[in-house]
Amino acid sequence: MDLLIPDIWLREFLITKAGSKEIAKYVSLCGPSFERINKTKYGTVYSVEVTTNRVDSASVYGVAREASAILHKSGFPHTKLKPFHVDSNYSFVKNVSYLTAVVSHDLCPRFTAVLIKEVQIKESPDWVKERLESVGVRPINNVVDISNYIMHEIGQPVHTFDYDKIKGSKMILRSSRKGESITTLDGETHSLPGGDIVIEDGKGRLIDLAGIMGGENSAVDKNTKNVLLFVQTYNPTRIRKTSMFLAHRTEAATLFEKGLDTELVKPAILNAVKMFISTTKGKVEKNILDLYPKAYKIKTAKFQLDFIRQRLGVDIAKKEISETLKSLGFEVMWKGNTAEVYIPSFRSTDVCIPEDIVEEVARIHGYHNLPSSLMEGNIPDLLTGSSFDLENNIKNILKGYGGVEIYTLSLVSKNQAGAGALKVKNPLGNESEYLRTSMFESLVFAAESNAGEKDPYHLFEVANVYIPRKNDLPEEKLILAGIFSNTEYQTAKGIVETLLEELNINAVFTPEDSRYFLPSNRVLIKVENKSIGQLGNLEKNDYIYYELNVEEIRKSGRKSTPFKPIPKYPPQIEDITLTFPPKTKIGEVVQSMKLCNKLVSNVELNDIYKDSYTFRIWYQHPDKTLTDKEVEGIRNKILKEIKNKFGGIIKS
Amino acid sequence: MLLDYLPKGRFFNGKITNMREEINNIKNGAIAQIMSAKDVSELDNIKTAYLGRKGKLNLIIKNLKEVPFEERKQAGILINEAKNTLIEQIINKKNTFKESARKWYDPTIPGIKPQKGNLHLVSLAINEISKTFENIGFTRVRYPEVEWDWFTFESLNMPKDHPARDEWETFFIDAPLNKKYGQMVLTPHTSSGQVREMTRVKTPPIRMINIAKCYRRQSDVSHVPMFHQFEGMVIDKGISIVHLKGTLDYFARNFFGSERKTRLRPSHFQFTEPSFEIDISCNVCKGTGCRLCKEGWLELGGAGMIHPTVLVNGGIDPNNYTGFAFGWGVERTYMMKSGLKIPDIRLIYSSDLRILRQF
Repeated sequence: MDLLIPDIWLREFLITKAGSKEIAKYVSLCGPSFERINKTKYGTVYSVEVTTNRVDSASVYGVAREASAILHKSGFPHTKLKPFHVDSNYSFVKNVSYLTAVVSHDLCPRFTAVLIKEVQIKESPDWVKERLESVGVRPINNVVDISNYIMHEIGQPVHTFDYDKIKGSKMILRSSRKGESITTLDGETHSLPGGDIVIEDGKGRLIDLAGIMGGENSAVDKNTKNVLLFVQTYNPTRIRKTSMFLAHRTEAATLFEKGLDTELVKPAILNAVKMFISTTKGKVEKNILDLYPKAYKIKTAKFQLDFIRQRLGVDIAKKEISETLKSLGFEVMWKGNTAEVYIPSFRSTDVCIPEDIVEEVARIHGYHNLPSSLMEGNIPDLLTGSSFDLENNIKNILKGYGGVEIYTLSLVSKNQAGAGALKVKNPLGNESEYLRTSMFESLVFAAESNAGEKDPYHLFEVANVYIPRKNDLPEEKLILAGIFSNTEYQTAKGIVETLLEELNINAVFTPEDSRYFLPSNRVLIKVENKSIGQLGNLEKNDYIYYELNVEEIRKSGRKSTPFKPIPKYPPQIEDITLTFPPKTKIGEVVQSMKLCNKLVSNVELNDIYKDSYTFRIWYQHPDKTLTDKEVEGIRNKILKEIKNKFGGIIKS
Repeated sequence: MLLDYLPKGRFFNGKITNMREEINNIKNGAIAQIMSAKDVSELDNIKTAYLGRKGKLNLIIKNLKEVPFEERKQAGILINEAKNTLIEQIINKKNTFKESARKWYDPTIPGIKPQKGNLHLVSLAINEISKTFENIGFTRVRYPEVEWDWFTFESLNMPKDHPARDEWETFFIDAPLNKKYGQMVLTPHTSSGQVREMTRVKTPPIRMINIAKCYRRQSDVSHVPMFHQFEGMVIDKGISIVHLKGTLDYFARNFFGSERKTRLRPSHFQFTEPSFEIDISCNVCKGTGCRLCKEGWLELGGAGMIHPTVLVNGGIDPNNYTGFAFGWGVERTYMMKSGLKIPDIRLIYSSDLRILRQF
């Protein structure tokens, strides 16, 4: 919650010698965060951020209360908090003559109202208008301004009805039925989801969307004579549901939905009464209606001294603990090293467990004053079977060969997602509505966004795809995908092959056609007959696309290569040029040559010229130097096989 | 011809004066030849004849053993002087020839570079962050991006309809509810890995660093719908705020630099108690205050002592164990380190090579 707190208003409650910079500095370290000190025409105004659990400090008074405890401990010992002045000439009663109220108390724990007659509607005095303007609120008239003033001063929303518009002087506070509708005073008509807190008058009209905004039909206007001043607390969950459902987020709703202190109601209504008298000349009824069946009973929490010390990591003194808690409005009773803490009403929702007490003691002591050291103790075992190192390895290898890593959005359009993809219920737009089941479209899209690039380039990404599973979370499959542009197929394949080699993967490339790839232009990448990826020329833009399943790579990669002694005898190496009939798969030719004889230690394709392919063949015997005659024998075997299998013949 | 000039075995007669004379003669003869040389190859021949392995000066050295020991040193110096003079003369002479007569070579020519690759900024950041924490015994993990409401919110002490959930602009998945775990969501924070890690390890010690993709329903110059977070979590006996401070200080010193400091301020998260906001001293103004920071401090992210309810939800007894956790944005943290200013954070996720190659 972001608040604007004028310095002059704050100092009405906070009596301190600290300057504005000091207030901001010290309070930020131990309590609400003073984000900025603004110099305005209304003087210094602080931008303060209050955390959502501390609705009790979401007001000028609330911030003053925190600041006084903190400054007191931060070198300003004479700092004091000035309490509200509350006029007690009024009686709080369960029945009043001017209003019949039927209240469902699970919706409204405390209900107060008082009739103020003969108000004079006009502009507020300048000091009220200025204060409201300084916190960013537009002054309306003296009645409406009172509500806003009290809400900003003490954090309790206050509402006013035109009393004469409440038919039958009757109010029924109840839960709404689905489909009921109400027009709020901003002119908006809302059809209610049901279960909202509403107030019905004696004629069955809805006159208030309680806790969120008043009804138009009961609003104070310039002709209003008699006002019903109205201060309540509401069931926070109901307020939040309605406010979220209707997307009607008023300041009152953001306070009520956090659960307000029922004890704040009384000072709020009394302060409002005081302002009514002074600024509207209204005549206030002596009896204030107060329906409050379950008054606040002091809550307590117990803790051990050691508990506080262990969590803080320092041996803080009992005395400091007691003083700190007292300064924040708690009472502490020690019995030996056990303490019982009495929790004030305004902290009853956020302080429940001993850890909450730790927080109070630690923050006022100052987190910045605590020592700092690394933990001792045993170091946990590492996660086995993770692929983090492999991913890094893959990325570094591809980078080394000129690859540029990209991160693309996992959320894609329906067309890009693949069949059966998971859909987002509340997407930001059509183009990011589904969770991708394939990297393909993302990579093509990435390549296309570099259409102007004339030089070869290679983009790659390692990311999850999301494969839906029945009655379960999707399988998140880690995929390496890459795309080459302006690149020869052989060059691209060479990089994929080298990557696999560096990762100790013994892969076989098997042609198999698939969608998006040119016919006869794609291979499956297989390890031990299991497909772990694919590679090929796309129909689109001469792109070459590949992908590999990272988990399969991890499983297939040999961890270590067995040591092979260096051959004692040199190999015989020769180049042979062969020609083949059209459509011969040279990958298979090389494979055949390698497998032809165990004395063939390696075969590489060295050159291509038209239909002629030059192969370099290594002949190697582990125990001797092969003679020309022996090589000739193997060579003839190879040539025979290649001729029979592929129709390849020596280039004449 | 030249080689005949000094027949073997007739050297010096053991006299230093003769030897000096001989060396001078050789030297002067060589200089005369160098002076009259016409081209580079003639100079190369002269060089071989006098300075080569079997050249005249080296022949003298071979014969030095005939010279009395005390004079050998003297002779050596003379020969070296002669050699240096000749080398110098040859180079000078070469340099007097026209450019065309020299063998032209340009050592300043730009090299042929291999195609340079790039790792993405996010990968660089993740590597550095995980390395820093792994050095103090943290185990890197990664938990689902598509996650159940239970792990994302409910187990973290955020019941349904809790206002605290507002802070996470969550994407929901159009899938049937799970009876036990509720709705399927795109996780808006890595904190969803907390209870998962507790369930995996079962018995502390736990030192987790969970780095994963997160998603929030917002897109503007400072928000991307997909981003990365890293979540640290430590659970053991006797873990206190002091250890959280120690860990964060360690990270700040080793990741950002030894001169950087952190501080904790109060904050609120449902799943930690107490909760903190972590600031780091500004590297621009060195902590004195400037327009980039708040009074010398920059906000790093949230942290806190794990709420006992969360420990219970992870199957860990809060009476025996305590812990802390923190979860920050990878991109933001890395940009704060490098001082990189990107006007629109969404550009980090651009596929434009002109941007990618800058990282």
